Amino acid sequence: MSISTEMKPATTSSTLTEVTYGSPVYNQIMTWMIREARLLDHRQLDEWQTYLAEDLIYKVPVRLTRRVQGFDTEFSDVGHMDDDYGSMTARVQRLTGTKSAWAEDPASRVRRFVTNVSVWETDIPGEYKVSSYLLLTRNRADARDYKQLSAERNDRLRWNGERYLLAHRIVLIDQVVLGMPNLAIFL
Amino acid sequence: MRIDHLSKFQDDPVSHLMDLENREVSVAALYDPDLYELEMERIFAKAWLLLGHDSEIPKVGDYVVRLMGEDQVIVARAADNQVHVSLNVCPHRAMHVCIADSGNTRVHKCIYHGWAFRPDGSFIGAPIEKEKMHGEIKSKEQLGLKQARVATLGGLVFATFNHDGPSLDDWLGEMKFYYEMLFCRTDNGLEVLGPPQRLTIDANWKTAGEQSACDGFHTLTLHGSLLEGGAMAGEENTEHESAPAMYGVNVSGNGHSLRCIPADTSWAMMAGKTHPGMTDDERLEMMPPPGITRELLPQVRRNLTAEQLHVFAKAPPVVGGMFPNVNILFVYAPLRDGTLGSALVLHSINPKGVDKFEWVTYFFTEKDASPEVKHMMRAAAAQLTGTSGIIEQDDSDTWPHMSEASRGFMGRTETLKYQAILGENRPADWPNKARVYSGFSKDDAQWNWWLAYHELMTSKA
Ligand code: FES
Ligand SMILES: [Fe+2]
Repeated sequence: MSISTEMKPATTSSTLTEVTYGSPVYNQIMTWMIREARLLDHRQLDEWQTYLAEDLIYKVPVRLTRRVQGFDTEFSDVGHMDDDYGSMTARVQRLTGTKSAWAEDPASRVRRFVTNVSVWETDIPGEYKVSSYLLLTRNRADARDYKQLSAERNDRLRWNGERYLLAHRIVLIDQVVLGMPNLAIFL
Repeated sequence: MRIDHLSKFQDDPVSHLMDLENREVSVAALYDPDLYELEMERIFAKAWLLLGHDSEIPKVGDYVVRLMGEDQVIVARAADNQVHVSLNVCPHRAMHVCIADSGNTRVHKCIYHGWAFRPDGSFIGAPIEKEKMHGEIKSKEQLGLKQARVATLGGLVFATFNHDGPSLDDWLGEMKFYYEMLFCRTDNGLEVLGPPQRLTIDANWKTAGEQSACDGFHTLTLHGSLLEGGAMAGEENTEHESAPAMYGVNVSGNGHSLRCIPADTSWAMMAGKTHPGMTDDERLEMMPPPGITRELLPQVRRNLTAEQLHVFAKAPPVVGGMFPNVNILFVYAPLRDGTLGSALVLHSINPKGVDKFEWVTYFFTEKDASPEVKHMMRAAAAQLTGTSGIIEQDDSDTWPHMSEASRGFMGRTETLKYQAILGENRPADWPNKARVYSGFSKDDAQWNWWLAYHELMTSKA
């Protein structure tokens, strides 16, 4: 199984130049991340969709438990999500534009806590590699408990002259067996 | 269950839960922890269960860990090149022998005290051979990992702990005729596209189990968002009359079942046109069944019998299940570029206590499909089915409600009803295989699932 670099946890040993914490670019990207989480938490999916680049690749690879020697090859090519721009907009359309997307009707109450943001320059000016940690809590109906999910997201953000667009997102989930019954929400 | 009630319960565990005459099942069947324990013994330790595909473990020593009921088993290719299924419980002191999900090894060494086993489960020995740390009371032959019986169909690996029960062929009975159209139709057969998705659903395993037996009806409402989007060809305001995919041929036997959707219906839905009066061959060429491309048709023609080819061309099986816990979707996937893709998906439903199950999703392709087709199928399967699939995310949100309802004292006095009866009616040109229900998809096959459940639950040992 081929493992692309995005399917390995990002580390500080990356050969790419890291964008300094607190610098203007870092702050812009951090602001983008917070806004994105707010849009998703508040179900403003149509607006969130405008954050996506048309060549988007969006994957949530399936994970396997391996012996420790294989710790950085725990992710496979098969995904819990395996999407592009067209399929993501179709998902948004189903959730917002139909009357029977029952998996999210009534809607889950979701909080996305985004931390540990690292930003690196890439070979392409205006395009950045971004790694963030995600802690997501999801509550549905009258459930007493929360379904939780923690993950590392490896993104590629592109400045289009006006705003950043998400061109690439690989979500590395910490669970092999997901605790929530579906991903009818975006990570 | 109090001890004094236990033997009475074991003699007659389901008659108070199933009304055979009126085709009803008590909601308490989703709740009762004693019933659940008995299901582990009488169903999950007796049935043939799907554990994966031999393309997952192509080399000697390859293994994956899977579930049979709540038991972990090691599915491994041994030196004899055969697939062996061993209980993943060390005969020494019950440690799991395999602690990773998959890998390759010629020796499975338990990390607790070091007893070692071959991929076929046989015992190699304990460390410090001269001290005889496995004792002298039992021979090495007696200290291997517990073995399940293994059989394959089209490379799909099935196993059972019922060593004296029916063969896989007898278990599948006449339904094998139909399953071969899905699993055994090309020269090199199916292959997995990768390891399965796994997730937990807070519901009794039977909520998904009985739905797998051709619950066509729920697609109209639960999957209504797809109708609204046009994917199932209904007009929104008249969806209940004009959803042609509801008409087809359900086939059922031994609790297993499949829904066969007429090719003409699929054309009308996917391509907006019909082609009446075509021959079988013309039909296959016009729109090959899900997962098949035109290049693969010569293989299909030589691997299926004439009778099978007729069904495959006229109304290929597309969804259904295998009793007790397999769900099948071999479906078309309309792609956004206007072409027609497909997704080949199998689920297994693995009980994890009375109100939880693990939903395991395998994606398949024909081994001989092109890399582009495989790539398309992998994405299509993930987008339609499993964790985030726009079809199945609505199912996985529904089943927990049923289990929750079963917790209510009054809820448990309700019943699951299977009273929409179509009745057996075989079209003139349909092979005389299994029970055939042609027409609007009704409850017949699902009730047959419950009858198979009843039969196993009432047969002791
Ligand atoms: S439990 Fe496995 S060697 Fe002791
Ligand atoms: Fe469904």
